[in-house]
Amino acid sequence: MVVMALMRTVEQLAEGDTAEFAVASASDLELVRRWCEKTGNTLVSTLMVEQDSGHVTVGRGRPRNPASMIPADRMPGARLWLYTNFHCNLACDYCCVASSPKTDPRLLGIDAIQTLVAEAAAWGVRELYLTGGEPFLLPNIDMIVRACADRLPTTLLTNGMLFRGQGLRKLRAMPREGLTLQISVDSPTADVHDSHRGAGSWKRALDGIRVALAEGFIVRVAATISAHDDPALDELHALFDGLGIPRADQVIRPIAHQGVAEEGVAFSSKSLIPEVTVTAEGVYWHPVAALDEDALVSRQILPLAPSLDRVSELFIQQWSSVTAATSMFACA
Amino acid sequence: MSQLIGAPLLVGAVAYTPNVVPIWEGIRDYFDEPASAMDFVLFSNYGRLVDALQAGMIDIAWNTNLAYARAVLQTDGHVRALAMRDTDAAFSTVFVAAAGSGWSGPGDIATRRLALGSADSAHAAILPLHYLRTAGVDVDQMQLRRFDSDIGKHGDTGRSELDAIDAVLAGDADVAAVGITVWENLGRGDLMPGMLEQVWQTETYSHCMFTALDTLPESVYAPWVAKLLAMDWEVPAHRRILELEGLTEWVEPHLEGYTGLFEAIEEQGVDARW
Repeated sequence: MVVMALMRTVEQLAEGDTAEFAVASASDLELVRRWCEKTGNTLVSTLMVEQDSGHVTVGRGRPRNPASMIPADRMPGARLWLYTNFHCNLACDYCCVASSPKTDPRLLGIDAIQTLVAEAAAWGVRELYLTGGEPFLLPNIDMIVRACADRLPTTLLTNGMLFRGQGLRKLRAMPREGLTLQISVDSPTADVHDSHRGAGSWKRALDGIRVALAEGFIVRVAATISAHDDPALDELHALFDGLGIPRADQVIRPIAHQGVAEEGVAFSSKSLIPEVTVTAEGVYWHPVAALDEDALVSRQILPLAPSLDRVSELFIQQWSSVTAATSMFACA
Repeated sequence: MSQLIGAPLLVGAVAYTPNVVPIWEGIRDYFDEPASAMDFVLFSNYGRLVDALQAGMIDIAWNTNLAYARAVLQTDGHVRALAMRDTDAAFSTVFVAAAGSGWSGPGDIATRRLALGSADSAHAAILPLHYLRTAGVDVDQMQLRRFDSDIGKHGDTGRSELDAIDAVLAGDADVAAVGITVWENLGRGDLMPGMLEQVWQTETYSHCMFTALDTLPESVYAPWVAKLLAMDWEVPAHRRILELEGLTEWVEPHLEGYTGLFEAIEEQGVDARW
C-alpha cells in the first residue's frame, strides 16, 4: 500500500518538497524506487531501521540540475583553496582556523603545491586561492604564487600588513598578471577592525592596500562583519571606493562560527556548496571548515583528483536531498 | 477582452496542486519574448475559470475536457480550441478490480458495485457511465458509489480516484473507474502487485484543451500557439515543465475526441453551468 500513500501525498507536494513514508519490506522499498522513476519524482534518502523496514524520503519532481542554479565559477571543483600555512602575525578573535603567531605553521610546501596545482588544472579547476595563516610569513611565498599564477588565475589572501622590507621584495617579485591580492579590512574606521585583529592593524592594512595598488596589483578587499558590530556598510563601501577598489572587488561576509570564533553563522559543513580545500593535514569540503573533522574529505592530499571526484559526487547526492538548505559561504 | 495594447496574453488555469505555480512560472518564462509574452492567473475551480474566459478577464483558459465542453455550451460554440497535450489526445478510463476477480469487459462490470470519482470528473465519473451505456450496460440499474472528494477541480487532483481504488481494496466496491494517468502511475497495477487488475478500458477521448473565445484575434493567439507547439522535450529547461505538466509534446486540437463527452452531458443531464 506504500504506492497509494505516495500517490496521495507526493502529487500534492510542491516541487522540491519532501515527505517521509514508512516501508515495511525490501519489496516496498523497491516499489518506491520504481514508482519514483516512473512518475518523475525522487527517492531522496532511505533509512532502514531494521533490515527490512524503515523510512524513505521522497521529493516531488526531479532534482534540478545544480548547473542551472549555481554560477559555473562556483560549481564544486571550480575553485581550489590551498592553506599555505596556518601561523599568522595576527590572532584575530574570529579566525575560522584559529591562526596566531603561536600556531603550528603546518606548511603545505612548494613541492606539494606545484603538484596539486598541476593536478587541479588537469582536472578542470579554474581558480586557485592561497590562504593561511598569513602567507607573507613564508620566505618563498613569491615562488609559490608564481607557480600557481603561471597555471591558473590565483587569489592570494593576506592581511596586507607585511609589505615592508623582505615582504615588499616578495610582493614586488610576484606576477601582476593572473594574480589578485585579497586584503582584509573589517570596518570603515580603525576601532572595530582593531578590536578583532589587534591595535594598529587597520592602518597597516590600508597602507598595504595602497602599496599593492601602487605596485600595480589587482586588489580585492574583504570585510568580515560581526553581528555585534555596526556594519556601517555605506561608510565601508565609501572607504573602498575612495581607495579605487571596484564594487565587484568589495567582498562583505559574516563571521563563520568556526575556529576560535565565539559567534557567527553556524552551518553544517555539508550544507555548504563545496570549495575544495587542501591543507597540510588533508582535503576539506570548504575553507571555513579546514579544522572541522566532519568536513574532512581525505587525509591523503595527493593525488588530488580522487578527492575532487569524491566532493563532486557527494555534492550531487546532497543536492538532490537538501537543495533548499545548501548555501554558499563567500570567502572570496 | 483582457488584451490591452502591449499587455501580455493572459492565461487562466486552476490551482489543483502547489506545483501549478512552478509549472506556470516556467511556461511564462518560456514565453518571454514580445510576440508571445504571457502572464497567468490561477483560479480555485473550473467554474470560475470558464466564467472568467467568457467575461474577458482572461484570453485563454487551460480547460479540462468538461470545462472545454461547458465553454462550448455556454457560448453556443463561440470558442476556439488552440492546443492540447499529447496525453490529452489519447486519454481513457480504466476499470479496475481486485486481483484475481477474473472479470473482463463491460458485461462483468454491469452487475458489480462501481466506485466513481468526483461527479465533475469526466474521466472518473461522467465518461465511465457513458461508455458503459454505449457498450450496452443499463447503468441506471447499477449500484454506484461516488467519491466527490475534489469537486470543482474536475478530478485533477486524482484524490477521488484513489478513494475509489481504496473502496475496492477495502471490499466496499467491486470495480473502480479511474483515469489512465492514475492507472499508469500505479504501473498498471504492477506497483501494487497482487492487488489490482484491469477489467476494461474505454476507447480513447480528448481531455484538456487551451480554449479562447472566437473573438481573440489570430494575430494574438497564433504566435503564442506556435511558440507553445515548439516546446521541445530534448531541451532540459522545457522538459522540466513538460514533465511536471504530464506530456511530451503539445499538439493541435483533437476535437473529435469530445464527441463522447457531449453525448454524456446530454444523457446524464450534466449542468452546462456551474
